[in-house]
Amino acid sequence: MALIMEQMPIVFRALNVGFLQTLKLFFVTLLGSLPLGLIIAFGSMSRFRPLKYFTKVVIWIVRGTPLMIQLLIIYYFPGLVLGKTIWGGGESGRFMAAAVSFIFNYACYFAEIYRGGIQSVPVGQQEAGLVLGMTRTQIFFRITLLQMIKRIVPPVSNEIITLVKDTSLARIIALQEIIWAGQAFMKGSQGISGAIWPLFFTAVYYLAFSGILTVLFGALERKLDFFR
Amino acid sequence: MKKRTMMLAAAGMMVALLGISAAAEESDLAYVQGNGKLVVGITDFEPMDYKDENGDWIGFDADLAKAFAQEIGVEVEFVEIDWDNKILELDSKTIDCVWNGMTLTDEVMSSMETSNAYCDNAQVVVLPSEKAGDYASVEDLADLNFAVEAGSAGEAEITALGYSATPVKAQSDALMEVAAGTSDAAVIDALMAGAMVGEGTGYADLTYTFGLNSEKYGVGFRKGSDLAAELNAFLVKSYEDGSLMKIAETYGVQASIIEQKAE
Amino acid sequence: MAILEVQHIEKHFGQTKVLKDINFSLEQGQALAIIGSSGSGKTTLLRCLNFLETPDQGKILVHGNTLFDAADPSTQLEKDIRKKRLHFGMVFQSFNLFPQYTALENVMLAEQLLAKERPDFKERKKEIFKEIEEHGQQLLAKMGLSERAGHYPHQLSGGQQQRVAIARALALSPDILCFDEPTSALDPELTGEVLKVIRSLADQKITMVIVTHEMAFARDVANQVIFMDGGVILEQGDARQVIEHPTQERTKQFLSRYKENQ
Repeated sequence: MALIMEQMPIVFRALNVGFLQTLKLFFVTLLGSLPLGLIIAFGSMSRFRPLKYFTKVVIWIVRGTPLMIQLLIIYYFPGLVLGKTIWGGGESGRFMAAAVSFIFNYACYFAEIYRGGIQSVPVGQQEAGLVLGMTRTQIFFRITLLQMIKRIVPPVSNEIITLVKDTSLARIIALQEIIWAGQAFMKGSQGISGAIWPLFFTAVYYLAFSGILTVLFGALERKLDFFR
Repeated sequence: MKKRTMMLAAAGMMVALLGISAAAEESDLAYVQGNGKLVVGITDFEPMDYKDENGDWIGFDADLAKAFAQEIGVEVEFVEIDWDNKILELDSKTIDCVWNGMTLTDEVMSSMETSNAYCDNAQVVVLPSEKAGDYASVEDLADLNFAVEAGSAGEAEITALGYSATPVKAQSDALMEVAAGTSDAAVIDALMAGAMVGEGTGYADLTYTFGLNSEKYGVGFRKGSDLAAELNAFLVKSYEDGSLMKIAETYGVQASIIEQKAE
Repeated sequence: MAILEVQHIEKHFGQTKVLKDINFSLEQGQALAIIGSSGSGKTTLLRCLNFLETPDQGKILVHGNTLFDAADPSTQLEKDIRKKRLHFGMVFQSFNLFPQYTALENVMLAEQLLAKERPDFKERKKEIFKEIEEHGQQLLAKMGLSERAGHYPHQLSGGQQQRVAIARALALSPDILCFDEPTSALDPELTGEVLKVIRSLADQKITMVIVTHEMAFARDVANQVIFMDGGVILEQGDARQVIEHPTQERTKQFLSRYKENQ
């Protein structure tokens, strides 16, 4: 116990740095994938057939392969083909590659949730808007959007909480997120070696963060409770 | 195990898709000098590569890499990598070399351009201290379950002996297996065992016993790279002028250094 | 001159002909009831008037102007259809109120959006919105719903929701107000309040086309009745005449079924 007390300041500092990287990847992924998902959703519902089928195939590939493989391909493939990596070798390059993989992967999942949400809004809502002389854009933003959001909050929050934990997959291209930071003390880092507890302790960070998110999504759901 | 198979499949798929060899077409030295930096792939591995209090990379390998980069007139950049992906990292040019107490196995030498060996090492068996006395010879170990780093020299040794081995991701994971009692024993590098096992370390209840084999460390470059020859020349030069041994003494590995002679 | 003329309208979905050679006209201030069994094409006809379906043949004229002509693509431009729809108001069987807006907001929404296209919108924004709100309140008052203006649809009974929907359809002052079985989704005890509202609209000489299963209501409120069967108009004429003394065998059968049920 005394040993752990001694190690704590160093370990916490390292875990905080790792967690900051986790959070960075998390927020950048959300910022990119939530809007991109909407664009992909519209693509998959397009009346222009080739675009519709192309989008569906892309969604199939992205959802049908492990995120880990996507990370490996996106980070290593360009260098293997072009003879020079497009990401740069440093840590910022690894982060960029991870962010691109995550944004694309999550956008495809969000796209399917959005599509379900949009299609679950009764067609009568659109027709009511049409007969009142509203444009399609007005109908989407004034009528469909909020009803869709209400319906997709539960599945999207589910997906977002999964994302918190999925960020740890970026370790495969050596992005130094919190689990990497925790594992470092097992091998030996900053004078501490063979310490197992930092790795297990990372779970506390994940728990706390997903707890905050759960509370936020609960609040959002209650906020949308004013209509049915 | 599953992940490793998947990764091999991915790597295989890429190579098949590309139908190209990873051989460098132009001079790798010119490529590195053009970039102005040598990107060194490492893991956190005391005493070879590790961070000081300021977060800067030090260690025997790190300091030697810095000296070599200076010799060829470029900056050095250390990047922590996933050890499983070292060949992928080299071939996709996300790093330029692997310089991290790497054992020169047949597998390593066939997939990379390697330098001459510069440091001796051995694989040792790590056991809980109270049980260490029960095992007097390698034959006594036959019934034990070993945790070994996937793809490591230790795994090769145990497999060759026909003992049961559980591959894990890193040498440190192998130690955790023994500490947690999920494996009976582990096989890791002697240099690492010296730094991590025994009194005054996180694994005070473990000890290491047998050396299973002796082996040598080298630096890995892309297949066909001219940087390997460049480094060999540098190793000879720095051995002769004493700067190599000076770095070795800083990190207490001078006893393991292999003499470097011009061919 | 007739306010609405429908000439030779035909509509098919794939192989199925849903409407065959539909012709009728309607005078200003009159109410037309369309009756017939389900699947006879009544609702499709109404949807054609609102451009929710595009007829394959025929013409639709309002105030003598051609709104739609299947033979003339220039009458079918997407951008014009939006404005053309405003000649018609529509009250749906399932109300289709916007759940995220209050009763008053439902009534005001379309008017507010249209106001933004007015050239004087920027200078007079506050005034315009005030006028729209007053108008919305008036319409709800007419429906006897002043107290419910701030309620969301799910807080209202079915009858109240349908009355809000009628107010919403009236907000843009359409030339012709269409009803698609306005009481079919309501419990019997709630139909009365909605029928009362429609009756009062008829008294105010609002031009209406009503698809309904309420025969007594059609007889008392409508001036004209159309009986549809299998996509064609089988009988058409004065409401009381058609419902009390039908000439066609199919019409007699249909109406007798309703008498039995009552």
